[in-house]
Amino acid sequence: MNLGELLKMALINIKGSKMRSLLTTLGIMIGIAAVIAVVAIGEGGRSALNTEVEKFGTNIFVVYVRDGLRAGDFQMSDIQVIKSAVPQVKYLAPANSISPKVRGPRKEISLSITGTTSEMASIRSIEMKSGRFINEDDQVNSRNVIVLEEDAAQELFGAADPLGQQVSIEGDGALVVGVVRKVESKLDEGGSKSGYVPLSFISNMRGIEMIFYMYGSAVSKTTVDEAMNSTVKVLERRHQNPKHYSSESMQGNLRQVNQILDIVGIIISSIAGISLLVGGIGVMNIMLVSVSDRTREIGIRMALGARRRDVLIQFLVEAIVLCLIGGLLGTIIGYSGAFAVAKIAEWPPLVSWGTIGLAFGFSTAVGLIFGVYPANRAARLDPIEALRRD
Amino acid sequence: MIKIGNLKKEYISGSIQVLALQGVSFTVEPGQFVSIMGASGSGKSTLMNLLGLLDSPKEGTYCLNGIETSSLDEVGRAKVRNQKIGFVFQAFNLLPRLNALENVELPMIYAGVKPAARREKAMAALERMGLADRYHHRPSELSGGQNQRVAIARALVNDPALILADEPTGALDTRNSEEIMGVFQELNRQGATIVLVTHEPEVARCSGRILRLSDGLLVSDEAVQQPPVENLFSIPHPESREAVI
Repeated sequence: MNLGELLKMALINIKGSKMRSLLTTLGIMIGIAAVIAVVAIGEGGRSALNTEVEKFGTNIFVVYVRDGLRAGDFQMSDIQVIKSAVPQVKYLAPANSISPKVRGPRKEISLSITGTTSEMASIRSIEMKSGRFINEDDQVNSRNVIVLEEDAAQELFGAADPLGQQVSIEGDGALVVGVVRKVESKLDEGGSKSGYVPLSFISNMRGIEMIFYMYGSAVSKTTVDEAMNSTVKVLERRHQNPKHYSSESMQGNLRQVNQILDIVGIIISSIAGISLLVGGIGVMNIMLVSVSDRTREIGIRMALGARRRDVLIQFLVEAIVLCLIGGLLGTIIGYSGAFAVAKIAEWPPLVSWGTIGLAFGFSTAVGLIFGVYPANRAARLDPIEALRRD
Repeated sequence: MIKIGNLKKEYISGSIQVLALQGVSFTVEPGQFVSIMGASGSGKSTLMNLLGLLDSPKEGTYCLNGIETSSLDEVGRAKVRNQKIGFVFQAFNLLPRLNALENVELPMIYAGVKPAARREKAMAALERMGLADRYHHRPSELSGGQNQRVAIARALVNDPALILADEPTGALDTRNSEEIMGVFQELNRQGATIVLVTHEPEVARCSGRILRLSDGLLVSDEAVQQPPVENLFSIPHPESREAVI
């Protein structure tokens, strides 16, 4: 008997008792639906998260102090030392911040201002809409210049071109030299309007050189940890203050989120596994009933020339087909669920062939494992006894 | 040719050993139509199962068309059942979920015949039984006589060396019994070798030779002058042969 015949025969028998077959596959269906939904939602979420993170730069890390920032914990001179000592660090920018009221010609708004150097543009993949970002000269010459994010510029200047215009920051005037594009991100929703000034601007305003933290960028994704850890070590040595400095990276945060997603996935997969187990037992049960119901058929087939192997394979294929039908329905249900969730969460729904393969692999395996016993029982029947059965 | 030599078979019923066959020997020449008669418990069913290779004897030889069956394993016996033997049962034993054509195709599926050839041969066998127009009917949609003719078509389809019929008229009324026995006679005239088990003398008389079993032993072997089928059953049905071949 070839596979085509076996499948045809299995479908004839499954169609012969539709309701029973459908109920039998329910457990498999739920199990597979759960697996598919979890994987699809998880993958979709992961990819959405990765996309968001890439907007900020995947190689980013930040170094800060653990407890109570004191003057001199970060110094401008640290930057050169770190960059020459740690080759994995590509860019390094000091940063401080204030959130003052800023007045423009149109109105006054509160602005989150970061004081930093030119390298910040490379680290955070900042895109200019017009003008330029702050540069070395601004820093060295302590120029009072500001770069605005486009929404802040819009608020302060309306439709007018802000370049070359002045804004007033707590009474100090600052020249607008550039407008940067806003990064649209779900990680930073409802974020305040922001702008960038030279680090020296804020230091001068406050009358003291204050660096709150350092933003860095590693040469590649894979060297972020090394870059970050070495930077911390250099700072600890230079300031003879072990355990004072700490660091975080996008990669690290991403890893944590991924770990959580993994754990959630494992929990739901375990539930799915139990469902598949229960479903498999259901399939075994119904196959045993089927063998008993069709004892005479088995006898007839043997009389007509079926070998025991043919009978075994026939019932095994039937169990597998039953599970595959459950798997197919489960896949449809699982993906529908994943699409719904993706729609609500605004993620890309991820339909990977690997997941579909996984579902069908599982279904086949369940059919095979739980079909062996009933099929073997069918194959071992004595044809004479079987023919005598009603 | 079928050659049976000193065939013995025993059963264990509870703690008692029952000798169902105590050494039976006979030969059936190709083209013969043989009836095996006997009361229930005479061993005729046991003999039938042995001839059909559904069971193996305790002792003795069974040579079918030059194949010594005692040397065969399960797979070999399945192959002989498939290709050398055509079964006709009392209860027809058609698969209820398959239509007539699919039922007739079944032995060829196990013989590995390709679908197109299978369909063609099954259709030809049904046609031979006068059921070509009923090929898509399921057993539940056919009469007893029609079902038995589908079963005979199924038995014929692999061109077996031996047709084994076990009480083939047992579930049929007189009219249909005559019809079916007519079919067997016609098949025999066309050269088929038939061994038929029955307890009805009328049925046995349709064959050319009657073997009688009693208590597991062959007690008589009698040649019969085959009379026309119309005269065999108590109530004559002149129209009964119209559907036959």
